[in-house]
Amino acid sequence: MVSRWMYLSLVILYGFLLGPFIIIFMASFGANATMAFPPQGFTLDWFTNVFETSQFIDSFWISLQLALLSTIVSLIMGMPVAYALTRFQFAWAGMVETVFSAPILVPGLVIGFAMLNFFVLLGDMHVMTGLFIGHTAILFPYSVRVISASLRNLDPYVEDAAVSLGANRLRGFLLVVLPNMQAGIAAAFVLGFITSFNNVPVSLFLSGPGVTTLPVSMLSYLEYYFDPTIAALSTLLVIFTVLLVQTAERILGLSQFV
Amino acid sequence: MIRRPNQTRTIILLVAPAFIFVLVFFVLPLVFLLSQSVLPEEGGFTLTGYFDFFQSRVSRIVYVRTLKLGLIVTGICVLMSYPAAFVLARMPARRRSFLMSLVILPLMTNAVARTFAWLIILGRRGMINQTLLSLDLVEHPVRFIFTETAIVLGLAQLFLPLMVLPLVSAMENIPDDVLEAARSLGANRLTTFLRIVVPLSSDGLVLGATLVFTGSVTAFVTPAILGGSRLLLMSTLLRQKAVILFDQHAAAVVAVVMIVTTLAVNLLLRVFRVQQT
Amino acid sequence: MPHLEIHDLTVSYEKNKPTLERFSLEVEQGELLSLLGPSGCGKTTTLRSVAGFIQPDAGQIVINDRDYTHLPPNRRDIGLVFQSYALFPHLTVFYNVAFGLRMRRIPKDEIYSRVTNALEMVGLEAFADRRPAQLSGGQQQRVALARATVIEPQVLLLDEPLSNLDARLRVDMRQEIRRLQQQLGITTLYVTHDQVEAMSISDRVVVMNQGEIEQIGTPESIFAAPETVFVADFMGFDNRFKAEVASVQGSKLTVNWGGAPIELRWHSKFGSPRPGAGAEIFFRADNASLSAGSEASGLAGYVILHTFHGNELRYLVETDIGEFSIMQDSASQRFEPGTTVTVQPHTQKWIAIIEETEEYA
Repeated sequence: MVSRWMYLSLVILYGFLLGPFIIIFMASFGANATMAFPPQGFTLDWFTNVFETSQFIDSFWISLQLALLSTIVSLIMGMPVAYALTRFQFAWAGMVETVFSAPILVPGLVIGFAMLNFFVLLGDMHVMTGLFIGHTAILFPYSVRVISASLRNLDPYVEDAAVSLGANRLRGFLLVVLPNMQAGIAAAFVLGFITSFNNVPVSLFLSGPGVTTLPVSMLSYLEYYFDPTIAALSTLLVIFTVLLVQTAERILGLSQFV
Repeated sequence: MIRRPNQTRTIILLVAPAFIFVLVFFVLPLVFLLSQSVLPEEGGFTLTGYFDFFQSRVSRIVYVRTLKLGLIVTGICVLMSYPAAFVLARMPARRRSFLMSLVILPLMTNAVARTFAWLIILGRRGMINQTLLSLDLVEHPVRFIFTETAIVLGLAQLFLPLMVLPLVSAMENIPDDVLEAARSLGANRLTTFLRIVVPLSSDGLVLGATLVFTGSVTAFVTPAILGGSRLLLMSTLLRQKAVILFDQHAAAVVAVVMIVTTLAVNLLLRVFRVQQT
Repeated sequence: MPHLEIHDLTVSYEKNKPTLERFSLEVEQGELLSLLGPSGCGKTTTLRSVAGFIQPDAGQIVINDRDYTHLPPNRRDIGLVFQSYALFPHLTVFYNVAFGLRMRRIPKDEIYSRVTNALEMVGLEAFADRRPAQLSGGQQQRVALARATVIEPQVLLLDEPLSNLDARLRVDMRQEIRRLQQQLGITTLYVTHDQVEAMSISDRVVVMNQGEIEQIGTPESIFAAPETVFVADFMGFDNRFKAEVASVQGSKLTVNWGGAPIELRWHSKFGSPRPGAGAEIFFRADNASLSAGSEASGLAGYVILHTFHGNELRYLVETDIGEFSIMQDSASQRFEPGTTVTVQPHTQKWIAIIEETEEYA
């Protein structure tokens, strides 16, 4: 059924998808500062520059903390929701599902803007707290969906089996459900972490003076400078992501949850 | 799914913490946003914000441009994904899962990095201009950045995976037997593709189109870098009204129009999907 | 004294629509009792109530003279085998079977010997270190059995344990479960929707419909003498027709078959039926025979088709009162489609059931 010309479409698809990455990669080692193409010479100066630019280093730590914190909190709160949705039959399940998928449906920029206005209304809120709330809210859909998928893969009766053999409900969950959800939890964690770590639209409005996430500070850097530092930083981030995603994919089969 | 009597209390306990969080920190701000758009600081209820928005030439152009580019991006993604998704879906599982992870990879890299590549490709001294100049096709560098073409390319590259993934998973579900049955009944490859594969994968197509279109009309990073303030889309307009013009009322109107647009598209295509089945 | 008693059990998932209402049942020590019925008849609800996963609205569950009604499921001494087996995917066969013993804080060496023993009983001693995913369906079923019985429970509950197996394996496992149950002498409640399975494995069968007991008895009595239309249907009677009761004499009643009267056993919900009442007559395909031509002593019809079943031929015969399916020895005279035949009833195996009070129309 697959004819030869159809393979050409694969080449085009992957060229378009991955070509930009190759160009960023090449640009990050080029010696000239004006981003002419093809790059001339070879240098690692831009990588050095990344590590000497304090706004990148500071915002990297903020993004890292933010991603870890909001992913963990969204998982801890999202897991019981996923459990309720997959283990019980109830009339308002559809409503619960809609509420928890809503943060995907509303544009991120609008969420950030609405939250900023609301937080101002609430009074003096720390910038980091605002970012944390925003990121946690947008991660719920991912946490709930991925954990639900992993719970659906597990026979709901194994818990009853554990209980019938003498374990109480909590022990049944800890001894039987949790060990079988490891892959799902790890997948949800990786997905949530990456989503938060890469987010621009929600962070844009919620960032404040001195407290900015890495992608937002990359964006504002671009407003003033146009040199391969961003290419070098992007290369580093791509390598970081590839390592993270490939490890997750190899161990967990991440693609089945996306 | 196990039905148990007297389960309501347990369910409420499980759902409540996250539910309250979303209600207070997500739903409430949106309600407040909505009220901002109809209650200007001077007080009183008014819809003038919306009248102003749709009467202003600038915002009308921005709105139409946003929708237009969204449609073009969606079209490009469909054309690029359809045959490729079919090839992917018919591949041996091992090779497919490797290739699919290459589709997912760009999705997992931040939009600033991905859009930045287009500055190198389309810039004054970028890849395309250097090629054109060296072939003597043009005398001066052509301006690509801050054009609609640049934004379309950037957005298409950004959202292409969101079209490929649902299409592949829809096509995976078409059994080989069905295609062979069509061939045995006299359909050639093209007819089989158009009459069997396309209808059977329409669910994936609609889902992909929803994701790509709503993604494109709300994306911020790509229009901000490749369009700047010269070529505004809804998202960059929202940012401009809120941060540069300090007009929270007008910004709230733009935000509500964005929400309504994405929700309407989602709803419309969901109805379409339900009717299909 | 019965070992397991269910008294007036009432369970409702929705208000005012009880799945079970004042349901009572008694199971003797060491007995295997089947709950047989279509899905939604309340059999699984009964089982899950005994296991403690459903808290009944009213009623009482007593095991070995002890009130179990308000005991949480993990403190009940009950072995449960699930339709899906519900093995713990992350644990090996050994630790699956050991789970209940570990919950009971049994010493390690005793766990080892009891688990080994249980695995030997189901013939899986060589598979102790495998994960459930590495086992066949039948093997998983055996692990589930070993896991439920190794704790030496008061009562064993099996919920459609064979419905995920293919037909041949099902027959083997049926015998295996029965053998194990008798070896251990364990009081067992067995839920199934498969009448053949219930017949072959049970000491007694309870046929359930819409939360009520339709009939309770030994497999033989239920097979031969269903008391309601529902049970007769469920027991796989091939032929059924309506007839008017001509007369009643004690335990027999008379209806017309072709021109001639036939005497049949009867069962009624409303005491002795009156002449003129409507009766449902049931008979199996092998409880009638065919003779050539039209005879006054039987019901005449003609052959529509026949199908071959090894030692038997099954005929489809069209008559004035309906189509009947009739089984004949394939060595006997063959009737080709279109042939006129007379259906001779073996009336001692037929049964008449009266469930409606109205007159026969």
